[in-house]
Amino acid sequence: MPKIIIDGHTIECRSGIPVLQAALEAGLAVPHYCYHPGLSVVASCRLCLMEMKMPNPKTGQMDWAPKLFPSCQTPVRDGLEVRFRSDPVRENQQHVMEYYLLNHPLDCPVCDKAGECYLQDYTEANGPATSRMVEDKTKNPKKDIGPHTLLYQDRCVLCSRCVRFCDEIAGTGELAVVGRGSRCEIDVLPGQPLENPLQGNVVDLCPVGALLDKGFLFKQRVWLLRSARSVSPADSRGQTIWIDYNEAGIHRIRPRYNEKINEWWISDEARFGWKHVHRPDRLRQPRIRQGVALQPARWEELPGLLRAPFAGVAACASPAGPGGGARLAQPPSLLGRGQGEGQGIGPLAAVLSPMLTCEEAWLLAKLARSLAPQATLVLGHVPVSGHDQTYPNGFTIKAEKCPNRRGVETILQHLGGPTASFQEFLAQAVEGRFRAAYVTGGYPDAWVTDPVAAALARIPFLVVHDLFPSALDGAAAVQIPGAAWTEREGTFMNCDGLLQPFERALPPLEGVKADGQFFYELLGQPGLFRAQTVRETMAAELPQFSEVFIPRDLPKRAH
Amino acid sequence: MSWRTIDRRTAAEQDLGPGLNDAVKEKIRSFFPRYPTKRAVLLPALHIAQDALGYISLRAMRELAELLELPPSAVLDVVTFYTHFWTHSRGRKTIVLCRSLTCELMGGGRVREGLEQRLGIGEHETTPDGQWSYMTEECLAACEHAPCLLINEKLHKGVQAEDLDRILVDPENDHLDMPRSTLFDAPAETKP
Amino acid sequence: MTFGRVLMRHVGVPNSTSLAVYKADGGYAGAARALQMTPDDLVELVKKANLRGRGGAGFPAGVKWTFLPKDRTVTYLCVNADESEPPTFCNRVLIDSDPHLLLEGVLIAAYATRTTVAYIYMRGEFCEQFHILQRALDEAYAAGYFGHNILGTGHNLECYIHRGAGAYVCGEETGLIESLEGKRGWPRIKPPFPAVEGLFRKPTVVNNVETLACLPHILTRGLDWWLSIGTANSKGPKMYCISGPVNRPGCYEAPLGLTCRELIYGADFGGGMRDGKQVKAVFPGGLSMGALRGDLFPKPPDGKVDPKQDYDELDCALDFDDVRKYDLLGLGTAAAVVVPEDADIRDVLLNVTRFYAQESCGQCTQCREGTAWMYKIAQRIRAGAGRRVDLDIIEETSRNMGMIPGLSICGLPDGAAWPIRTLIQKFRREFEQRIAAQEPGAAQSLIRRTNAAAYELPVLHGRAVQPAGGTFATPLDVAPPR
Repeated sequence: MPKIIIDGHTIECRSGIPVLQAALEAGLAVPHYCYHPGLSVVASCRLCLMEMKMPNPKTGQMDWAPKLFPSCQTPVRDGLEVRFRSDPVRENQQHVMEYYLLNHPLDCPVCDKAGECYLQDYTEANGPATSRMVEDKTKNPKKDIGPHTLLYQDRCVLCSRCVRFCDEIAGTGELAVVGRGSRCEIDVLPGQPLENPLQGNVVDLCPVGALLDKGFLFKQRVWLLRSARSVSPADSRGQTIWIDYNEAGIHRIRPRYNEKINEWWISDEARFGWKHVHRPDRLRQPRIRQGVALQPARWEELPGLLRAPFAGVAACASPAGPGGGARLAQPPSLLGRGQGEGQGIGPLAAVLSPMLTCEEAWLLAKLARSLAPQATLVLGHVPVSGHDQTYPNGFTIKAEKCPNRRGVETILQHLGGPTASFQEFLAQAVEGRFRAAYVTGGYPDAWVTDPVAAALARIPFLVVHDLFPSALDGAAAVQIPGAAWTEREGTFMNCDGLLQPFERALPPLEGVKADGQFFYELLGQPGLFRAQTVRETMAAELPQFSEVFIPRDLPKRAH
Repeated sequence: MSWRTIDRRTAAEQDLGPGLNDAVKEKIRSFFPRYPTKRAVLLPALHIAQDALGYISLRAMRELAELLELPPSAVLDVVTFYTHFWTHSRGRKTIVLCRSLTCELMGGGRVREGLEQRLGIGEHETTPDGQWSYMTEECLAACEHAPCLLINEKLHKGVQAEDLDRILVDPENDHLDMPRSTLFDAPAETKP
Repeated sequence: MTFGRVLMRHVGVPNSTSLAVYKADGGYAGAARALQMTPDDLVELVKKANLRGRGGAGFPAGVKWTFLPKDRTVTYLCVNADESEPPTFCNRVLIDSDPHLLLEGVLIAAYATRTTVAYIYMRGEFCEQFHILQRALDEAYAAGYFGHNILGTGHNLECYIHRGAGAYVCGEETGLIESLEGKRGWPRIKPPFPAVEGLFRKPTVVNNVETLACLPHILTRGLDWWLSIGTANSKGPKMYCISGPVNRPGCYEAPLGLTCRELIYGADFGGGMRDGKQVKAVFPGGLSMGALRGDLFPKPPDGKVDPKQDYDELDCALDFDDVRKYDLLGLGTAAAVVVPEDADIRDVLLNVTRFYAQESCGQCTQCREGTAWMYKIAQRIRAGAGRRVDLDIIEETSRNMGMIPGLSICGLPDGAAWPIRTLIQKFRREFEQRIAAQEPGAAQSLIRRTNAAAYELPVLHGRAVQPAGGTFATPLDVAPPR
């Protein structure tokens, strides 16, 4: 670990990083635009210049060099002495800020970036508030450069981060700097828009309001937003994200730095993968079948309603009829032996969706097994789309479009007993082996295909716990509305076995209970469901769950 | 912020302009052995393409990107950086007027005015008959002959505003009378 | 002292571009001698000759070659023939008359640096020169000076001419390298320096045309001859260019150390001012090196100077060191342009600022925004709406835009700041007189009209392209005041 001296303070830093990064990690507010730790260094904004001590060629003594050096381009080495708090450095920052404001429009009141704009911040901290240029500013039109992105060219500070991102991380190179000198602009070749699967990152990378997301345009002022640490359910890689929300709901998703997985970036799937949370057709209250129709039920009556038939199925050998079910118009016939019993498969199945958190899957599995030790535990439908896509820098978008397949599998393996894959489960269901099943969904997209619906329709007592109405509505005896992942807390285990917690951003939709809380109540546990508490009990049996990975926060002043 | 938005997502077929023929592409390929990367052939390729088409059309940019295995925007990037390349069609002859300090001191400003008046066009425009286009360049490195101008490849030295009439009507005004290497052809006569 | 022309000895000789004429005059003898030496001895010889680069910075070529890593396998030689500094044309004259001298220099330098591929980066505006050099190269290939197993020594060298396309910044060595790689000519950040990681990320030497043209003569005429020419720290002959309203504008060869006055008035050089005009200013090393005053009192011939008197600065010796005493950035290209007394200093400022605003590559903030801002101010001053505070702004801007030691990636903003600052400082009185003579209130009324034409991006495929500037429309040019 090299030690460098910044402004007289000795700082220990990671080796191989530029001085700027070390200064930012030490909490210094060094202005910078073009530098980004995930991109190549171009040292073109000239804001982060610093003074450095070098051997004086005349005397051989270490002395402040007469030149300013870009701190983004100078690697740390032991004993290096630099300073940012000096007049030449400050003057340079002021001058450069004046240059930036020469042609930048002062349209902050209508700019989405206002409030998180580094031109605003740096101008407030370093720069002159007024420009001495009396000529008119350059006014160039906005450019529609892609399906999701709009370029306000006149706000651009030409840091070229977006161009480097497209070249180095996405490898698609749609963006380019065109023109020369003060006529430089960011552009695409007409007809070749910015539409790679990572393109949304250029909006986060833009330090000013030049590149904006069309979906977020004019929607919210950023100071009205709160952010929750979350993990994206878009694919099995577990990209960590910030959910920006307020009382009106979610407004956008931004990448949350994660040194092990997605670094500074997220895929567009993760970025735009929240729209389903606010779909108007979300299920909003539990319903039970009465006659042919599903009728609204109260949450309080559900535990009793469900436990009894399940327990009945479990004890199916006993001639006693199932209790409960009084309100069910047609109590399913649970007498008689399930066909699978000969092979040790119970007539009760619980389908654990890979959209569930580890804690929820654990509780549901425990519930099923507590009711029927031979209950079949099934890993739910694992949506897969295409192949894994790996980008030049190593960023990978997984084909598996669910967050917790591995977590559910780990729990199933640990619990042992009868388990089945979803396909096996469907096949067995078609054969009529199951008397009752608890099926969890929670997928953002429609997942109930005709074969799935047909197979599940063979189960006499079907409980469906899902976000949206589906073809299962006709077959379900009980329908329970699920909460979206933004309305829950817990952990996802990604495809590589990394366990990552996420927090709740929104309260569950009115009339909806968080899945974990409901399972808690089904299990007859008192109090509130806390993922942390459940995880601790899990960890007692399963050491994999004793440690979660929380990526470190980025330095406050870095962007 | 500007109220106007321009669409860069789409390009209509008629806006793509002419493409490169096989002979031109073959000529570009003949430059491949000179450089260790294909990208390095971009500048020679743009010269060849502009000599063939008169300018670098959108279609040519796409074809060059394909030929050199580059993202299409990289071609746009380079084309717009260098003043020599035109991104819209130009006349049969292009006048490049020097406006270095020497040329302006020696009367280049008057030559420029005279030229714009006679041709009736501004910089980067083409006369309606498709004969002339005109642009300026910062220095043609012929300062001892200031003011000077290039017509296609031919340098005209010591041009004063009065000489313009004579030069413009001379049918040989762009004829470079010298043996030339075949590597870069003389700019082809292009239809406006 | 009589001085026999060396670099320019073939200017005016009929058919001098042919190999036959060149060889008849002892051509390629230097290369033949070089190929018998070891590369290390050759580098040592050039180091001893203290051959300083003629491109502007004056860095010793031999020392530059020693920066190449010892264990390199591939080396590239780039020849900088992107002569774009106004008003420089000595490389053009050299290629026009003696292309084989350059090629011989390329051969020697390539052998010394163990290079097998050389690229001559030639600016796109050189049309005639391209054909001349390409033909000379074809001839030299046919005669076995290039290609495989040169003159039976086992040394191989491929040489290609790479044409630029109109960008001043490609004369900067890393800008040139980027341009050669098929990218925009944005200079690279250093380190790594080209000698370690240059063209195609391999060790690379970039030398100027004139520097290489000196090599054959050092080899044929010897070190003693070379060291006998020039001043203490600036050895060898130099091609000086003089242009503007002088009687004999052109390129002249002289030992380093020629004074500016000699260059303008010497009978062998500029031959005095046309029509007996006085000199107002001289840019003696290309625009970027700054301006000298010529509008004051000449020093008396007896050398007795009156300390109270301001003298003109024409006695500046044009070598690598003396220029700094006159607040110039350096020798530059030793190409002088003379501004006559009747020129409006505001025109000069306008031209200089426009040049840098057009040619700034746009990478570093100071240079990109600063040059354009100064051009806008210069336009307004020229339009008769200047303010005295504008002069202060320009001077301050030029100071913080980039002065040695530079604040930017390359030296362009330093080169832009220097002439602009020296113009304002040395001719401030005239600027102030011009501003004082303006119509009262002109500045205020014009300020709101200046550059009012909104900048619209042209349609790429042609129909609507705004006038002026580069291929794209430029926000730089103003609508004429109405």
